[in-house]
Amino acid sequence: MTKLQILIDGNPIEIDSRDMQSVKEVEPGVYSVLLEGRSFEVRAITAADGLRVETGSRRFAVEVRDPRDSSRLAKTALGSGRKSISAPMPGKVVRLLVREGDSVDSGQGLVVVEAMKMQNEMKAPRAGRVAEVLVRDGDTVAAGDTLVVLE
Amino acid sequence: MFRKVLIANRGEIAVRIVRALREMNIGSVAVFSDADRAALHVRLADEAEHIGPAPSSESYLRIDRILEAAKKHDADAIHPGYGFLSENAEFAAACEASGIVFIGPTPEAIRRLGSKTAARTLAKEASVPTVPGSEQPATQLEEVRRVARELVYPVLLKASAGGGGKGMRRVDQESELEAAIREASSEAERSFRNGEVYIEKLIDKPRHIEIQIAGDQYGNLVHLGERECSLQRRHQKISEECPSPLITSNPEMRTAMGEAALRVARAVGYSSLGTVEFLADIQGDFYFLEVNTRLQVEHPVTELVTGYDLVRLQLEIAAGEKLPFQQQDVHWRGSAIECRICAEDTENNFFPSPGRIVQLREPSGPGVRLDSGVYQGWTVPLEYDPLLAKLVVWHEDRDAAIGRMLRALDEYSITGLENNVAFFREIIDDPIFRKGWLQTGFVADFFARRKPKSPPPQELELAAALVAAAHSRNGKRETRNGKLEASRWLTDGRTSLLR
Repeated sequence: MTKLQILIDGNPIEIDSRDMQSVKEVEPGVYSVLLEGRSFEVRAITAADGLRVETGSRRFAVEVRDPRDSSRLAKTALGSGRKSISAPMPGKVVRLLVREGDSVDSGQGLVVVEAMKMQNEMKAPRAGRVAEVLVRDGDTVAAGDTLVVLE
Repeated sequence: MFRKVLIANRGEIAVRIVRALREMNIGSVAVFSDADRAALHVRLADEAEHIGPAPSSESYLRIDRILEAAKKHDADAIHPGYGFLSENAEFAAACEASGIVFIGPTPEAIRRLGSKTAARTLAKEASVPTVPGSEQPATQLEEVRRVARELVYPVLLKASAGGGGKGMRRVDQESELEAAIREASSEAERSFRNGEVYIEKLIDKPRHIEIQIAGDQYGNLVHLGERECSLQRRHQKISEECPSPLITSNPEMRTAMGEAALRVARAVGYSSLGTVEFLADIQGDFYFLEVNTRLQVEHPVTELVTGYDLVRLQLEIAAGEKLPFQQQDVHWRGSAIECRICAEDTENNFFPSPGRIVQLREPSGPGVRLDSGVYQGWTVPLEYDPLLAKLVVWHEDRDAAIGRMLRALDEYSITGLENNVAFFREIIDDPIFRKGWLQTGFVADFFARRKPKSPPPQELELAAALVAAAHSRNGKRETRNGKLEASRWLTDGRTSLLR
């Protein structure tokens, strides 16, 4: 019997394949689950940062582990010295507030990105020096694109 | 009545107008930018015309292209919706000059009420109370400093041509004044092509209550009661209701505010639909704020409580018909609440979140109205407002309406982009919201007192785990480097090779 280890918001839950009978995919990505007579509707979304599962107003970060696969690489933190500031959503760069080499304070504005009629200033999460500016005025950026690198 | 009407707008309001036109057997013409070729309003209208690239300054704000489209499609009237050109007197005049009816008030009325400072003067003359402040544009810094000191900080800077919080800044002390004027003015310039701002005393934690008015071209004017619009984020309304809980406990306020609104409207000989906005403080005093010379986003709550179809009424008035009812015929029944469903991240300062709607389940059932401008599979463009749909419910009283709204929100699911459905479930269920103790700082206060979520029930976690397993078994496996493979064909192929 196959057992699967699942992390729900970091909380380990082991399930076996028999349990799967209570799950029915009713629409693509939408599942109906009946547990001891109780009905749940759960949605699974493949997002940029991994699998996400939503039910009602709850949203869970999910990791599915296959116990036979033990070679999983530990997630290592990126170099502690450099910090990338990336666009949280698609938009257009309307103003650059810093140049490469500038020193910035924590909370100082770096780039102004506009989306949906709203301008949003990307701020420095900590003090440092601007190592790289990867965008120009008027550039269209996608969610996750790196805008500025601090060091 | 008109034969064919062009809708100079997009999104849910364009859909709302197409629906009214179809119900009245009038042809509809949609206009669209490059980003909106596949938009719902284009799909639903009888005819459609491309008017330019995605930025609204090159499409939905182009008077010349919209008039060209109206002539090409032989429309005899234009409905401007809200936003875009709806409060642009030049546009209204250009329609008239082309022999096309502008569905709204006269260019003259728009001009006189469109400048907030001129409107304030007008309200004062009509003996309607206004918030203390200066009608003068804040151009001379020294003069503004003097006025601000007189008013006593905090003060508020507002765009003369504005609305929706654009070009608005709270200023708590003099050292912030100069930068605030610059920011407010540049935002006003970008949003309204008019950088003029003025200064007002800030009324702390007021309620925002507005009065719906309707007038025909023969001088008949009525008010249709109030809407409570105190729930705001970033100075923009997110939820509205009728009646206002304040007015439920002070019923004489509806008459007082209604009459004040009508005095302002009479002063300019107002025709068409309009909204007179007020601030109300904790003592129940109210102050004139501004007039919106157009159909309002939140008009459905008034429709549900009064029973009138406001868009239909607006079309009839524009076509020269008389108001079909008088003030004494207007009655208010039950309670209606609206939630503006937006593509935004409520946990990240309401950051807009455009993108593709992967999954959509819309609420329905008794007393539920959904004015939506989107559909499953549609990519919400980043160029426009994040409003996706308006969820509106009606019930016999406010408590029942709250129960119905929570039920409808439970049925509502949008995945693929961040949205505020789950946030509304918390807000509408909030004990202070249930009490009706609303004010414009409600959302900020809510965040301050919000409790962390309790851990999920075990069976919910189990359900989530089962679905995660089922979903990954369906072919959406996570690979070692964290990237995702989404092809079921691929995994199916591999499985069959292993057999």
